Amino acid sequence: MAEIKLAAEPRTEFGKGAARRIRRDNKIPAVLYGHGGDPVHVTLPGHESMLALRQTNVLLNIDVDGKGQLAVAKDVQRDPVKNTIEHIDLQVVRAGEKITVDIAVNIVGESAPGTIHLVEEQTLSVEAEATHLPESVDVSIEGLESGSQIHAEDVALPTGSTLLTDPKAVVVLVTEPRGEAGDDDESAASAESPAEASSEG
Amino acid sequence: MLIPRRVKHRKQHHPSRSGAAKGGTQIAFGDFGIQALEPAYVTNRQIEAARIAMTRHIKRGGKVWINIYPDRPLTKKPAETRMGSGKGSPEWWVANVKPGRILFELAGVDESLAREAMRRAMHKLPMKCRFVVREGGV
Repeated sequence: MAEIKLAAEPRTEFGKGAARRIRRDNKIPAVLYGHGGDPVHVTLPGHESMLALRQTNVLLNIDVDGKGQLAVAKDVQRDPVKNTIEHIDLQVVRAGEKITVDIAVNIVGESAPGTIHLVEEQTLSVEAEATHLPESVDVSIEGLESGSQIHAEDVALPTGSTLLTDPKAVVVLVTEPRGEAGDDDESAASAESPAEASSEG
Repeated sequence: MLIPRRVKHRKQHHPSRSGAAKGGTQIAFGDFGIQALEPAYVTNRQIEAARIAMTRHIKRGGKVWINIYPDRPLTKKPAETRMGSGKGSPEWWVANVKPGRILFELAGVDESLAREAMRRAMHKLPMKCRFVVREGGV
């Protein structure tokens, strides 16, 4: 994947007042850190950063004072309602270095008629070369019967990636749908609470 | 209907309605979700009505997650009662929902069916909501 170049300005003032001024100018406060160096506080262009971060595991070339640094987005804080980017954590990487990233599980194909598939692990944690980070991994469920499971170790990872997730973790589960859901006397227990769901995963 | 099995205090103060959701703002389990856009107290009856509306529409297939829990009691004094004589008795169980919170999630159905099922569920809820789809990326 090609890297995306972003021009950054060093940031000298901090705190919520300064951060809000930056956001009002359609820019994004960010921090660049890694490899044991001191963190560098920068300001990124709002629109370009937003477009770049639409891609998963994108490699960025951050140009600070004419000096380019390769980085990946480690964390992105967003407004929960407006979905605008409020702050970005950037991790400095080097070409050839291996880093840990989460890649999305992309389901392809259709399971056997009368069955549904449930994705238990939406992402897989892998180690990959920073300059060749995979975006997603395809998991085929074509023709799988009810009761079938695909474990993390069964997933064909992109070349150069090593699995870090528990190999025995269930990624996709093919099951039969429950009977006519939504009966009046059916308790709310049929719809799982997050606590129950997480204990399953 | 969702009701806590045991509570430490039977009568509580009203929960704060200010601010936005601090967590639970991203789809965690399913592929589609309902996101609150306004603060509200969602009662256990409303949660149940929304769940039934959704599951009835998707018929067979699909899986529903409820991400909120009505763990706060609200009290009410009986009608035509003089003021005083202590706090009223617990009347409703509510979830204190703030803007941005994902209320329900759905998986195992296609988007058009999920959108219609969740539209029906949103009619049972006391605040403005929107349909959201899982996104990739950080």
